[in-house]
Amino acid sequence: MNVSMSLSLPHGNRRELPGDLAMWFFILAELLVFGIFFLAYAFARTRNVELFNASQLELDKLSGAINTVLLISSSYFVVRAVDKIRHGLARACAHWLLAAMALGGAFLVVKLVEFADKFEAGISLSTNTFFMFYLGLGFFHFMHVVLGMVILGAVALKAWKGGYSAADHVGVETGASYWHMVDLVWIVLFPLIYVLR
Amino acid sequence: MTRTATFQWLILMALTAAAVGLSRSGLSDSALLVPVLLMTLIKGRIVIDRFMALQGVAAPWRWIVLGWLLLVLSLIGYAFHMTQT
Repeated sequence: MNVSMSLSLPHGNRRELPGDLAMWFFILAELLVFGIFFLAYAFARTRNVELFNASQLELDKLSGAINTVLLISSSYFVVRAVDKIRHGLARACAHWLLAAMALGGAFLVVKLVEFADKFEAGISLSTNTFFMFYLGLGFFHFMHVVLGMVILGAVALKAWKGGYSAADHVGVETGASYWHMVDLVWIVLFPLIYVLR
Repeated sequence: MTRTATFQWLILMALTAAAVGLSRSGLSDSALLVPVLLMTLIKGRIVIDRFMALQGVAAPWRWIVLGWLLLVLSLIGYAFHMTQT
């Protein structure tokens, strides 16, 4: 914690909420929903510990770790995109956003392969409570990655066309905030489902 | 700024590797719980304060998001601890 406290701010030291206020209400609603699902998993597990631990052994932890690296890196690319537009470099901003989308796409591919392996093994939502949460939460987050990529794509297109500038780039910050939320949720989801026992 | 963001990204990578490494180290489930949750808390805080750039933003936004993270991780820790005692 202290390590991060000693670092300077990536977007500068300011008092205004980055991005559009409406997006922040949306982000809070999303965090609330994910939080409820996380706690439902954690407390459902208390009644089925052996089942959850045995089922968890069938997960591919490496896929989860790779996806964590992909999402964290894509979030970093988005930070770079915001920095570029703050300096008025719209094309560079679009490039970083496209790079972030590419990593988001890679995340989706890894997740689809992971899901396909489970379906091939005969695992489905109705297999047991653990896999209901694993598949349900995974798919729910998957759809948020898809939505995040759509938002980043729209922002990248507008940036490419010169729709943002150093003085006016609220849209970039709004898209960035959503993408970081998707990353934040995965940062909790990964240890919860794949690591902790 | 770029160097700082890159350093933060590297910290996130290192913490991810550390969590996976710990999970494969043969530590008991109970010994794994607190370090993994603490690493998750640090990672989440870096994303919230630095990537989302909520540090320095007027209340209550930063505290709501940080509070969400702390509350969720605390309750997860409590639920897992219940099954280990």
